[in-house]
Amino acid sequence: MALTDQAFMQYSRQILLPEVGEHGQSRLSQSHVLIVGVGGLGNLAAQYLAAAGVGRISLIDGDRIERSNLPRQLLFTSDDLGGNKADVAAQKLMRAYRDCHIHCYQHYLTADSAATVFNNRYHAIDLVLDCSDNFAARQLVNQLAIEHKVTLVSASAAHFQGQLLSVNQQISPDTGCYHCLYPSDMSVSQTCQTVGVLGPMVGSLASMQALMSLNLLLTHDATAELPPIAVQSRCMDSRQLLGQLYRFDGAKFTWRQATLARDPDCTVCRVHER
Amino acid sequence: MISIVLNDEVVTVSIGTSLVKVLEHQAIELDAVALALNAEVVPKSRWPHIVCQQDDKLDVFSVVAGG
Ligand SMILES: [Zn+2]
Repeated sequence: MALTDQAFMQYSRQILLPEVGEHGQSRLSQSHVLIVGVGGLGNLAAQYLAAAGVGRISLIDGDRIERSNLPRQLLFTSDDLGGNKADVAAQKLMRAYRDCHIHCYQHYLTADSAATVFNNRYHAIDLVLDCSDNFAARQLVNQLAIEHKVTLVSASAAHFQGQLLSVNQQISPDTGCYHCLYPSDMSVSQTCQTVGVLGPMVGSLASMQALMSLNLLLTHDATAELPPIAVQSRCMDSRQLLGQLYRFDGAKFTWRQATLARDPDCTVCRVHER
Repeated sequence: MISIVLNDEVVTVSIGTSLVKVLEHQAIELDAVALALNAEVVPKSRWPHIVCQQDDKLDVFSVVAGG
């Protein structure tokens, strides 16, 4: 699909990158990203993706905007208090980024509501971003991403700790899933409500999540379409990003990386084995 | 005895100590953590079966769920 002159101008700094080019920009414009949770992570990740020219974004959140959200949920102001997060974010992003179609679901993602959200007949989901704020929701998003064979990009932040990972059972089965790393029966203490967090801490993770997402959208099954030289020189390869866990300590300013591993006993990804 | 590095601190353990024993010695709650050995995550079901080697680098961390 050819880009319009205006799109070419608007995204010129991205198109300049050999890893993006016109082809990549066009690919972004045809991508559909689902963002689960429109809090601190979801706000910024959605804005970055919409601004980058991702063509379709679905936002889902049943939560309402509270005053304590404002230091890190930067799309919202005190005029928005009480509004639904997905709704308000969608309205603001649509006004700012006309190229992006934004759909909002003003309820939480549940096992019951998942079918409507994931089985979009016209616009298949290319990527799911887990931007939720609790362990149970994270387990559900992982399970649904596996069921629907969609790549999951999961980010989280609380206190001065942030974590980021992406998984896909079709492309990288050996690295397992979120549940292989964090079984659902493990005990969890940290959430933003109980330990506190600084806005830029959440923002750092959201930015990395958006960057990882763009990388993945640009490289998904792109190998076949690129000339061999470009493949060799490409610094981005979805298989290098998938299946890695990145942990950021925002007090010591250290990043750590570890390769994920599939748990042969995992009750979530084992069930959906290819 | 061998020495390993657990979350950036040198720790001495007996030869033949499994990952699960290391955590128990350190009074780390097994249900609350995940573990990476030399930059590779080890699923919990494998912890009793893997024995520490000299200079192993162990990172033990909890889940971060906020957003
Ligand atoms: Zn799994």
